[in-house]
Amino acid sequence: MRVLTLLAVLAATLGAAAPAGPPDILVSRQLLAKAHLAVGDLVTLAGDSSGARARQFRIAGVYEPTPDPMKFNIERIEARLHLDDLLGLAADPADPASADTVSMINVALPNVSDPSGASSFSRSLSARTPFIYSTPTRDSENSTFLVIDRFHTAIAAVTVIGSTAFLLALMVIRAEERKETVGVLRLIGISRQTIMIEVVVEGLLVAIAGAAFGVLIAAGAQSAVNRFFQARYDTAVVFMRISPAIAMRSIAVAIPVGVVAGAVASWTLLRRGASALVRR
Amino acid sequence: MTAFGLAWRTARRYRARAVLAVVGVAVIGALNFDMLMLSNGLLISFADLVNSTGYDIRIAGSAGLLARQPIDNAAALMTQIAALPEVASVAMMRTATAAVIRPNRPADGVELIGSSDPAGLGIWRSLTGSNLDGQVGPAGDPSLAPAVIARPMADRLKLAPGSTFNIRVRISGSLSAMPAIPLRVVGIADFPFESQDSFLVATTMEGFRRAHGGVMNDQAEFMFAQSRPSAGPDAAVAAIAKLRQDLRVFSNEQVVANFGRNAFTYFRQISVVLSTTTGAFSFLLVATLLTVSVNQRLGEVAALRALGIARRRIAATLLWEAALLVGIGGLFALPLGELLAMVLDRILRRMPGLPAGLHFFVFERQSLVLHAAVLVATAVVASIYPVWLAVRLPIAQTLRQEVVS
Repeated sequence: MRVLTLLAVLAATLGAAAPAGPPDILVSRQLLAKAHLAVGDLVTLAGDSSGARARQFRIAGVYEPTPDPMKFNIERIEARLHLDDLLGLAADPADPASADTVSMINVALPNVSDPSGASSFSRSLSARTPFIYSTPTRDSENSTFLVIDRFHTAIAAVTVIGSTAFLLALMVIRAEERKETVGVLRLIGISRQTIMIEVVVEGLLVAIAGAAFGVLIAAGAQSAVNRFFQARYDTAVVFMRISPAIAMRSIAVAIPVGVVAGAVASWTLLRRGASALVRR
Repeated sequence: MTAFGLAWRTARRYRARAVLAVVGVAVIGALNFDMLMLSNGLLISFADLVNSTGYDIRIAGSAGLLARQPIDNAAALMTQIAALPEVASVAMMRTATAAVIRPNRPADGVELIGSSDPAGLGIWRSLTGSNLDGQVGPAGDPSLAPAVIARPMADRLKLAPGSTFNIRVRISGSLSAMPAIPLRVVGIADFPFESQDSFLVATTMEGFRRAHGGVMNDQAEFMFAQSRPSAGPDAAVAAIAKLRQDLRVFSNEQVVANFGRNAFTYFRQISVVLSTTTGAFSFLLVATLLTVSVNQRLGEVAALRALGIARRRIAATLLWEAALLVGIGGLFALPLGELLAMVLDRILRRMPGLPAGLHFFVFERQSLVLHAAVLVATAVVASIYPVWLAVRLPIAQTLRQEVVS
């Protein structure tokens, strides 16, 4: 049997329930489509799989679940009820305390801008109530994404090393190609420093152009990637976003790569004397 | 001289570019190898984990394995399952949220596990001390239930086999508070199904009942069964599922397949994307280097052709050059990839709530074969254009241009 995730929300979310008839609920877009429902339909919900203590509700509307990267591969088969209705549906008549039980309480602190306030409140509450786990929302689930961020950074670092080797090889070949030209330049009085700057600038330009081209490819792929994964998982989560900061970071990484490649390539030319360079 | 010999000499002559190309292929090849390991690594690791418990069937409540809806009338069900001719053994597990109570210290939250199998249903490994059927105390004090605890908890609370600690369970959905009961540590173990820093206490079902004040409902979170070899897990799954409508019964194979469909699909997809990207990168690297290299050596190639070296041999030489760069780079990619996989695995295993025994990068022969196939394809495809350039070279015109320039 399909499991419905019942999310309780405050009455204000739905407005006042109709005085007569079944209470209102909201259903997720996915549930509406999967169960072939429509706004205004009457549905029966039960708190357990046996269908005991089932109640009828009227679908007052449909909502798009808040995009949640932690749930992107989970089918969002959800309905939102008034808290009273949910408690009435889920409470165990044999246990009076169950009607006074909630899964989670959100607390708004007076000074929202102070992150240390949330941490100290959380520590204080956990110390006083051993079975209550509290955490600042700012930190909740962040650690998973920190780990994924580190993983992506490590992969990016490896690709930068590979790219550096690629660019170095190209620059060395280019330097070899222009060995005689550089020898002639040296013989007519162009200084080593000028030649070195020329090769370094060339490496830098190739690296920056490559990075800019990479950013353009990524920006072009962004919409295709998002559309593919959003369709694949039926979610509104944005999987890929090329922000100006990311674009700038990738171009900034290209600068030292270009300088190193140019410097090494110029060294292969300049370590030899001018006569050695022009010798056939 | 053979085509291979010629290719080898060319690589030695242009040593710097050859070394850099090998380094590039090795680094990108290592990443490609890692992504191939990542594509199946989680599934292989999870299958190893599930199959290592000694039970090949998992039984859960009507909501399935993840929802942890308890199984009602567990004792009667255990008897029914044990009586099935397809089943060799059956065990049950219960879990509860609890806290370790220490004087003048804040309580430490733990997960309390009750197991009907003294060996813990295979959920712990690397045991120091004994299983739950081991010696409880010096005098065998019957008031102390045995406990096998997780290593991080033992380290933090400075507990060792023989130590005693007090634990109090939380009664879910009720305002009742249970009195704390003492447990005696008989073993310290790793719990590969739980996250690395989890505080876990496993005890006998009797210990679990005592922790609940001696009164416990007849439920179980999970049951584990072992099929008879003569029947096999599929027949046993079908037989158990027939017993009651409210059970969800899975063989290990089904659990792994379900995990493969639903869990960590992101990493499998990123592995496909990155292995394709790295394959394309390797191709670009080798193709560009070979093309530039051939363009630089057009005069040399034309001279060889003029001397009577056949087109096929020139093509074979270039193919060997590509094979040398990719082959040597690919060989270096294996140890480098293993090293990188260790680093990446360590990063990913810090993900909160991840079972300690789960690994993202697992070596398998298929990854190696795929890695080799990708490299061979890279070498062949990357050399197509340079070979085409070299074999279609107009000899006289090229030599003339070379002399004039």
